Amino acid sequence: MGKYAIGEFEEVVLLTVAVLYENAYGIAIKEDIEQRLKRKVSVGAMRTALKRLEKKEFLTSEFGEATAVRGGKRKRYFKVTPYGKKALEKVMSDRQKLWEAIPSMAFDFK
Amino acid sequence: MKQPLHIPPPKVPLRFLKWFCSPELVEDVEGDLSELFRSRYEQNKARARVLFWFDVLLLFRPGIIRDIKLKQGLNQNIMLKNYFKIALRNALRYKGYTFLNLSGLIVGIASSMLVLLWVQDEKNMNGFHENGDKIYQVFRNMKQSNGVVSTSTSVPKPLADLLDEQYSEVEAIASYSWEMDLKLTLDDQTTQEEGRFASPEFLNMFSFPLLLGDKDEALNELNSIVISRAVAERYFGDNWKTEALGKIFRLEDGNVAVSGVIENTGPNSTLQFDWLRPAQVYYNANRWVNDWGNGSFGLYITIPDDEKAARVEDKVLMEIMDHTVDNDAAGDEEVIIQRFSDTYLYSNFDNGVIDGGRIDYVRIMTIVAIFILIVACINFMNLTTARSSRRAKEIGLRKVMGAEKKSISTQFFFEAILLTTMAVAVSVLVVLLLLPYFNGLVDKSLALDLTNINTWYFLIGLIVIVGSVSASYPAFLLPTFSIIQSMKGGIKQSGFADFFRKGLVVFQFAISTLLIIGTAVVYKQIDYVLNKDLGLVKENLVAIRLQSGTLQQLETYKTELLRIPEVSGVTASTGNPLRYGRSTSSAKWEGKDPSAGYEVNVIISDEDFIRTTGMEILEGRDFSEQMQDSTNFIINEVAAKLMGFEEPIGKDLSFWGINGKITGVVKNFHMQNMYEPIAPLIITCIDPSRSAVMLVRVESNMQEVLGQIEEITAQLSPGNDFDYEFIDKVYAEGYRSERTVGTLANIFAFISILISSLGLLGLTSYAAEQRAMEIGVRKVHGASVGQILLLLSRDYSRLILLSFLLAIPVGYYVMDGWLSNFEFRTSLNLLVFLAAAAITFIIGVITVGAKSYQAATTNPVNSLRQE
Repeated sequence: MGKYAIGEFEEVVLLTVAVLYENAYGIAIKEDIEQRLKRKVSVGAMRTALKRLEKKEFLTSEFGEATAVRGGKRKRYFKVTPYGKKALEKVMSDRQKLWEAIPSMAFDFK
Repeated sequence: MKQPLHIPPPKVPLRFLKWFCSPELVEDVEGDLSELFRSRYEQNKARARVLFWFDVLLLFRPGIIRDIKLKQGLNQNIMLKNYFKIALRNALRYKGYTFLNLSGLIVGIASSMLVLLWVQDEKNMNGFHENGDKIYQVFRNMKQSNGVVSTSTSVPKPLADLLDEQYSEVEAIASYSWEMDLKLTLDDQTTQEEGRFASPEFLNMFSFPLLLGDKDEALNELNSIVISRAVAERYFGDNWKTEALGKIFRLEDGNVAVSGVIENTGPNSTLQFDWLRPAQVYYNANRWVNDWGNGSFGLYITIPDDEKAARVEDKVLMEIMDHTVDNDAAGDEEVIIQRFSDTYLYSNFDNGVIDGGRIDYVRIMTIVAIFILIVACINFMNLTTARSSRRAKEIGLRKVMGAEKKSISTQFFFEAILLTTMAVAVSVLVVLLLLPYFNGLVDKSLALDLTNINTWYFLIGLIVIVGSVSASYPAFLLPTFSIIQSMKGGIKQSGFADFFRKGLVVFQFAISTLLIIGTAVVYKQIDYVLNKDLGLVKENLVAIRLQSGTLQQLETYKTELLRIPEVSGVTASTGNPLRYGRSTSSAKWEGKDPSAGYEVNVIISDEDFIRTTGMEILEGRDFSEQMQDSTNFIINEVAAKLMGFEEPIGKDLSFWGINGKITGVVKNFHMQNMYEPIAPLIITCIDPSRSAVMLVRVESNMQEVLGQIEEITAQLSPGNDFDYEFIDKVYAEGYRSERTVGTLANIFAFISILISSLGLLGLTSYAAEQRAMEIGVRKVHGASVGQILLLLSRDYSRLILLSFLLAIPVGYYVMDGWLSNFEFRTSLNLLVFLAAAAITFIIGVITVGAKSYQAATTNPVNSLRQE
C-alpha cells in the first residue's frame, strides 16, 4: 500500500470533505455521503475514519462557531491537506493504470 | 408551534458518552449528536431517542474511547511516605503502648496460625488420593441386643463379590484387611512387619505411589508381596531399587516373592501398612469368609458420580438381610456407604448414622482461632482509640491543612496494616520456633511451608483482614474529631466511643471466660473417664500377645508365669477386655423372641478370668476348675437384663452350637469407650486355646517382672517379638484426641486471657493518666490509696462481671452439647463456672489493680505541679 495507504470508506470520507470544502464538519459530511452515494453512515464509523485520516495527516481540523442547535458545542471543520490530495490522486491514478491494463476481451461477457 | 433550537438529548447515553469519549473529541462529537438528534426529533421523537442511543453505542469503539489512565490526579506516594514516617515516630515515641499493641497481635496471630496449621493438616488427611471423592467405604450396621446399632468396617466377602458382579454403577472394588503381623525372613535376617491383605484393585484405586513393580499386576500372583519402602530399605539398603524386585522372603507358611515396592504410607494416610499380600491368599486359608453371616475384610468401592452413588446407597442397604434369611448366625444388619474422603473427619457413628467425629474438634479449633484473632483485633482497636487524644493535635492540624476525612481514615488504615505486617512477620518467626513443641503436643509433623505460594496468600490475607478489622473502628472514629476541639487539646470523646470500648472489653473477657469454661469441662470429663471405676482393675495389668509356641503350650506358660512371685494372676482371653468387639448373633435363651436378631459379645477365656482382671461377681459364682465349667457361662448385668430373667442363675443359654447354663452374673465393665453404652456379654471358658492375649496381674516391680516374663515367653516361643501392652495405658491412649484438644483449649484459654489482660492494662494506664489530676486533687483532700484503687478499678471490674453473665449461658449450652456425646459423663456443676469466673476475675483485677496502685501511690505534687 505504501505511504498513501487509504481504505475505501476513508477515501469516500476524504473526497466528501473536499467536496464540501469550507463546510466540512461531522454531520454535514455524514449527510452528504448519505445523499450523494445512498449509503448509510453511522456517526461512530465516520468519527473513527476522520480520526484515522487526521492521524495519517490527510486532514487537518479546527474548531468553528458554536450554535444553539448543537447545545452550545463548537463545530470541528475538516480540510484536506496537500498530502491528502496526493493520496487521493495516487488512488485515482492507480485505478486508472489498472483500467488501462485490462484487455478488452476481459469484459466481454457474451 | 416553533420548536426551540436546542432540545436536550437523553441524559443517560450522553453521560456514558462523556465518560468514555476521549477529551479532544468529546465536544465536537457531542455537538454532532445533538444536532442530529434535533433534526431527527422533528420527525419522530421516540425514534430520535432510540437512534441517539444507537449512535452512542456505535461510538464506543477503539479510537474514540479515551486512553485508560490508572493513576490520575495527585501522586499519593508522598502522602503515604509521610504516613509511614509518622506511624514509625509514634510507635517509637510510645514504646510501652506499641509493645502492648504488638505483643497482643503477635500472640494472637501466632497462636491462630498454629491452630490453622493443625486444622489444615486434619483436613488434608487422605487428601492425596486422586479419586478420594469417588471412593466409598462400605460399612455394616449391626443392631445390638440392647437396641443400639454398632457400625463395623468388616464386611462379608459375598457382599464384595455381589457388588462386583451385579452393580453396574460400581467401577471397581477393593478389599482391605485388618492389620496383621507377618514374620519376614531373608537369609538370616528376620523382622516382624505389620501389613494387610488387599485385593489387586487396591493399588489402582488408591494413589499410593508404587515405586517398583506394576500396579496392574503386583498383587495378582498368590505368592506375591508388595513391601513398603521402609521395609525395602531395611533389607536391601540403599540399593533396594535394583535389588528388591523378585527377592524371595520366607514366611512361617511358605515363600513369597517381592512384586513391588510401595512408597511409605506416611502420616497423611489413615490406611497404614508395611506390606500387602493378595486377599485371595487369606480367603483360601479361611473358608469362613464365604459366609454371608461373617464380616471379614474392609471394602472400598469406586462410584463415578453422586447420582450413581445415591442409587448404590439405596440398593445396597438390605443386601445382607436379603441373603441371610435362612441363616441362623445372621443378625439384623444394614449396609451403608460413606465417601472415603469423609471417613477420617466424620468417623463417629451414632446408632448407625454418621455423627461428626474429628470434624467437631476441627470446627471447635477453627472457631477458637478466629476468636483469638478477634480478641487481638479488639485490643488493637481499644488501645488505638483510647490513646487517640494523643493524636488529636495531629489530626486537627492535618484537617486545617486541608486533609479530608477520607485521607485521615486512610492514614489509620495504613498504620494498622503496617503494624499488622510487623506482627505477622514476627509471628511467622514465633511459629517457626514453636512448631517443634507444638508438634510434640498434638503428635503431628506440621510445617510452615514458606515456599508454597498458598502460605503467602494466607499471610497476606491475614495482614489485610486483621489490619482492616483492627483499623475499622479507629478509622471511623478519629476523623470525626472537630478541628477546634482537637487543636485546643483535650478532646472529649463521645459517650458512644466510651460505650463501644467497654462493649469490646466485655466481649473479650466473655470469650476468655468461655474458653476457660471449655477447658475446665474437657479436663473434668477426661479426668472422669480416666479415673472411672471400669468394673475391673486396669492398673498393673499386662496383656501379652499369644504367638505360636505360647499358644500351643498355654497351660505350661501359665504355670511358668505364676512362678514369678510378683505375679498374682494369669488368664488367657480373646482380647483386651476394655477394647472388646467380638460378638455373635446366634445366642439363644429361654423366652427369646425368635425373630429378633441380637448381637451379644463373647469373651472366650479360662477359669481365672474374673479373678485376674479383678471383676466382681454379683450373683451366682465364678468359674472353678473342679466343677468343669466348660459349658457354663457368666453373663454381665446388661445381658441379664436383656434376657429378662428374674433369676438368671441356672438358666439355659446356647450360642455357636454350645448348650450350657448361666452360673454367674458379673458386674458391668466397660468394653468400649465412654461414647458407647455397655453391651451385653457372655464369658465362656470352653476353649482357652482360641485366646489371643495372656493377661497377667503384676503386684509390684513391674519392670523387673516384665523382664522375667519376656524370658519365659522367649523360651516357649523362640524367634517371636515380645509383644505386650499395659491395659491402663491402652485405655488412656484411646482418649488421645480428647486430651490433645483439652491441652490446646487450655493453652488458648491462657492466651486469650493474656491478650485481654494486655488490652486491659493499656486501657487502665490510659485512664489513670487521664485522671492523674483528679487523683492528685482527691489525694490532697485526703483520699486514701484504697479509695483511689476502688475508684479506678470499679469500672473495669464491673465490665468483667458483666462478661460472665454473657459467657456462662453460652458455655453451658456448648459444653452440655459436647458432653452429651458421651454415654458416661461427668456432671456440669456450678463449680466449673464459678472457677472459670474466679480465674478471669482475679487476673483482670490484678491487672487493673497493679496499674491503679501505681497511679494511686504517686505523689500528688507531681501530677498537680503542671497547673
